[in-house]
Amino acid sequence: MNKKLELADIQGNVLRAYGRFGYPAARYVCLNVKNEIRGRDFIAAVTERVTTAIDWSTEDGKKLKPNWTANIAFSYQGLRKLGLPRASLVEFSPEFSQGMKARKDILGDQGPSAPENWDPVWERNGKDFESNVHILITLNGLMPAPVTEDANGMQEAREASLEHREQAYEWLLEVVKEHDDGVAVLGGHCGANGEKFDYQDADVLFEDGMPTAKEHFGYHDGISDPVIEGVPYDEGRVEGRGKLLEGGKWAPLATGEFLFGHIDEAHEYPPAPRPILLSRNGTYMVFRKLHENVGTFNAFLSEHGKKYPGGEELLAAKFVGRWKDGTPLVLAPNEEKRKAFQDKLKEASLEEQERMLSDFSYEDDMSGAKCPFSAHMRRINPRGSLEQVAGEVPGSMIRSMKGENEGAFDTPGALANRRRIMRRGLPYGTVSDRTSDKGNHGIVIMMLNANINREFEFVQQQWINYGNDFKAANDKEILLGNHNIDGKSPSKAVIQVDPESDDVPYIVSDIPLLVETRGGDYFFVPSMTALRLIARGVIDPT
Amino acid sequence: MANVSGNAYALTVLSPIKEGLVAGKEIAYADAVRDRLYDWNELDNSPMAKVPQTYLCRYFVLDDVYVQSLPSGSYPDNRYDWSPYITDGKRRGSLPAEDRLQSRYLVFSSNFHAGPNADLDGYLHNMWDAISDDIREVWGYCYGFDRVSSAATFAAYIKKCQLETTLFFVGSNDDPLPEQLKALFLKQEFARFAATNQGLPAAELRKNYNEFITRVAPEDLNGPSWSPGQYKFD
Repeated sequence: MNKKLELADIQGNVLRAYGRFGYPAARYVCLNVKNEIRGRDFIAAVTERVTTAIDWSTEDGKKLKPNWTANIAFSYQGLRKLGLPRASLVEFSPEFSQGMKARKDILGDQGPSAPENWDPVWERNGKDFESNVHILITLNGLMPAPVTEDANGMQEAREASLEHREQAYEWLLEVVKEHDDGVAVLGGHCGANGEKFDYQDADVLFEDGMPTAKEHFGYHDGISDPVIEGVPYDEGRVEGRGKLLEGGKWAPLATGEFLFGHIDEAHEYPPAPRPILLSRNGTYMVFRKLHENVGTFNAFLSEHGKKYPGGEELLAAKFVGRWKDGTPLVLAPNEEKRKAFQDKLKEASLEEQERMLSDFSYEDDMSGAKCPFSAHMRRINPRGSLEQVAGEVPGSMIRSMKGENEGAFDTPGALANRRRIMRRGLPYGTVSDRTSDKGNHGIVIMMLNANINREFEFVQQQWINYGNDFKAANDKEILLGNHNIDGKSPSKAVIQVDPESDDVPYIVSDIPLLVETRGGDYFFVPSMTALRLIARGVIDPT
Repeated sequence: MANVSGNAYALTVLSPIKEGLVAGKEIAYADAVRDRLYDWNELDNSPMAKVPQTYLCRYFVLDDVYVQSLPSGSYPDNRYDWSPYITDGKRRGSLPAEDRLQSRYLVFSSNFHAGPNADLDGYLHNMWDAISDDIREVWGYCYGFDRVSSAATFAAYIKKCQLETTLFFVGSNDDPLPEQLKALFLKQEFARFAATNQGLPAAELRKNYNEFITRVAPEDLNGPSWSPGQYKFD
């Protein structure tokens, strides 16, 4: 790996999931641009404080790790309002210029997930000039290392992270105030009891005073994020996160899958607006607020857990492809192996832990006996297991590869490497009653990709809400699928078994809608250079 | 024959539409045909669902061929480019002419089960018997259709307009349509049966399975099944 990215030109949230770097408290603020020129002055002021992707592990970098981070992104309407020239605007992708609402049929945002049911800030977005979400600012507060190892020390550190988030927000409000003739904060983010906030908070969930990587259903989340070429602090994390090569080796994905101005997996530059200084080192961001129906999930899991031969915990693991503690089913398909894996994991260094949790493929699980085809993890990231074809034993699958099984593909990742998504997100809200869906809790997820249509939208439409690529007919991904949105077409999913065994596949039937969309939009995350140019109003596409 | 694959037949028909306006109206014949086809879209189901053995079919009006770009020159064309004696007009004149269609066409393509003898006549006769009024409505403004008055003359007319192609729709095998619909129905019903009966004791499972088989009658094509053209649950 000899490619080196210009880290100081790339916004920090593009290359970092801040939660993993000690920032457990996030706040998302939507703004409307009222006046083009004063709006650009606002951008200039914010840009001064935007956090870059600079390497915090070097001597100089350590000093630059801030108490709070700030990042900024723009909707198409925002770029338009800030005066980008038409010649540049028309070169953004159609789905980006349409915005997420207009793509609801492709995304399956229907029924309870339909835009009319979104939080007011998102529901009103696009209805009139004053309500348009033009700018998204994301803030994260740093949690310092606890002074003492006990619960008190952890509590203090946690409070410090919340304090840092408040500082970040105060800074933002101050900058907004100085430019209140140019921009306005848009309110209307829903809270738990119907109250409306001017911001959306998201927080790492704590359990017994300790931070976890869990979301509200209880699963460890965000483990296998893609690793790309040129990021020094990801060099040791390629296994399971890059692309699978023949022979089981892994390599970082081409940078251009996620960043404009760099070569992608097709050895081309991704389509991006001119001038190159506007797009290079920038990317698209898909922002989604997803409500989790915790009560429905628990009832559904418990009902099927009673019938499923492996019991409730294993069934919960089958939904995702990992046990709730993050142990991959492919490496530990039963409780005994899970325990052994966790014992080993606890002994391992942090770096080794990262590798253990992600370094696997489906080579030994082509028939889905360990990780089912409709499990969350397999659908989101098939790890070189497509395209599978029927094997000789009934119910078995083998990989179709050039030379091996008459397939057309010369690399195992051929069908997956161009459909990867970087995920940045944190849980929001708290669950007070685990038997109810009511309240305001779920995940705020931000997905980064250089081509929203080819990457995010494809995964959402074809891999989450449809199963054909996994030879699973119209079975949807179990957790995120838009099950039964019309109230009369319940979906099912099959939990596969070893085709050589006498075991019977289990059919998870009548899957209810477990996750609902509550808002979001498509954004452009410019480089630092582009931010400065936008602020100056000197984007020149000629 | 290239338009036959096993028991499946790929029929492609281009019927020239008359030039001119519908009497008393300011609408061209071709546009009127297109308008009638759009009427079909508003029906609960396509009239073609009534035509036996139709796997998939499509109608549209072809206005003209589309030109992608001028063909690039090759030797000796490009020799003209650097010859000082060839005028620009001559060079352009040597390029192939743009193609144009003589008229606008009604295009009808259908993939259907034709059996081992590639029985196109049988299919067209059945089509006439099932939807002759609809056929008259759509083909009425085409050249030569005034000679069509029966199943036999319709079949003869279609065969005159037929173009030999290999435009098969992949997504259907070549079994008769009722067999395919029954197979789809059985697959769905069986998946439902498996989901609702999993884990039952053997005796109960056997009893339910027997009831299931009696209900779905796998061998009986006239028994419960999907109906042709059905695209949603009732």
